[in-house]
Amino acid sequence: MTITTTEGTGGDPAGAVAGAGTEAAGTSFEDVRAWRARAAAAVPADRAAAEAGVRRAYRQAGLPEPERVVWAASPREAVTLVRTTADKGASVREAVRSAPWAQERRRLHTRLGPAGWAAHWAATGGPLWEPTQALVDRIRAGVLEELAGGGTGSEAAEIRLVLLDAVLGQHDAPWLAAFPTDRGPLEGLAAVGRSAGWWWPYARVAVVCERPVALHRDEAGRLDRGDGPALAYPDGFALYAWRGMPVPAAFLAELPGLTPDRIRSEENAELRRVMLEHYGYDRYLADSGARHVHRDETGTLWRIDLPSDEPVVMVEVLNSTPEPDGTRRTYWLRVPPSTRTAREGVAWTFGLTAQGYAPERET
Amino acid sequence: MYRQGDVLIVPVANDAVPPHVAAAPKERRDARGRLVLALGEVTGHAHAVVGPGDLVREPGPFGPLLLHLPQGGRVVHEEHAAITLPKGWYRVIRQREYVPGSVRIVAD
Repeated sequence: MTITTTEGTGGDPAGAVAGAGTEAAGTSFEDVRAWRARAAAAVPADRAAAEAGVRRAYRQAGLPEPERVVWAASPREAVTLVRTTADKGASVREAVRSAPWAQERRRLHTRLGPAGWAAHWAATGGPLWEPTQALVDRIRAGVLEELAGGGTGSEAAEIRLVLLDAVLGQHDAPWLAAFPTDRGPLEGLAAVGRSAGWWWPYARVAVVCERPVALHRDEAGRLDRGDGPALAYPDGFALYAWRGMPVPAAFLAELPGLTPDRIRSEENAELRRVMLEHYGYDRYLADSGARHVHRDETGTLWRIDLPSDEPVVMVEVLNSTPEPDGTRRTYWLRVPPSTRTAREGVAWTFGLTAQGYAPERET
Repeated sequence: MYRQGDVLIVPVANDAVPPHVAAAPKERRDARGRLVLALGEVTGHAHAVVGPGDLVREPGPFGPLLLHLPQGGRVVHEEHAAITLPKGWYRVIRQREYVPGSVRIVAD
């Protein structure tokens, strides 16, 4: 199930945050939750707050404020702006972002010790790091793809360097969650992180980017949408994905009109898997007259043979807790093609053998 | 063993718990004082344990999470009935599904 991030207003998506239970390191669980919300914010930037934060970050780095702050509607437009702005001066990312970050990290690491720091990171930014970094990587790849047609050649190399000059704003949430940000050297950086997207600090000009207008993810935090862009910026820069897998926009447009024949004729196995998931295994099974292979108290094992590909083998299981209307949701889990029984399939999904899988209570 | 949705909780004998776990860093409780076994990124729904105990990230055969409930406890989730656990040690396993060439965790 995909749920859309929608917020009615601009400003800080985390809303008013109570500093309940502040930890020794100066970050509370509430802070972490607020940064999690900011990383996923798909609302217009709070431009006044972001610009104030940018200027503050320069001042905190001991630099004169930028002469101009220029806004871009997406990372794609920001990269183009950066490349076409002649008098912007040198990048000051090291002084504005890396130095204060390293200073804070060193301070905390010294105070907590290696094990204490590891535990602190695991309790704050750690869990946020991977999904956020995956999103950042996808955005970078999307910008490269659209501006240079992919990752090779001298133009792509130049764009990649510009992308590496970015400070990530809302997507700096994971590491900002690990430090106190209401005072000290990270104040300015955090103010931008609370109110805008990526930004590029140069000596005379700062380019600041809007936040997305749409972000659709699954429960694992992967980009996921079957009927439109999973991530979209106000200027139309967008990424399309199905459960984390990048797919072409045209491919999604085709999904509502799928037929079993069309699915069978798709040569790309990855795309065929997406088609099957979107179409519904159960529908496909019914349409193609597949038969179940095995049934026991854990569920039903199904098999679909595909031309020149490994068979799709799935367990069909019932949710143990009924829905509010008394019905039980069915869900399908794909298992290795060598699976012979439903119990073996369900056990495999938990990394166990059929003999080792024996839950005494299921809800 | 006990299953709540896409999480399986498997008892581990006291003497099988790796010795370094006693000194390993413990997972922090959430704002409601619960130990979170798995968190939905979008809904914020969580498989969580109420009551005293510890949760340790543990790579290898006793992982990915080891749960210690010295007095027993309850596992709750917004969409599943609660499960009562006797006291002891448990492995917490996330459900996965097969993708040709890899696996991915179940997330719906």
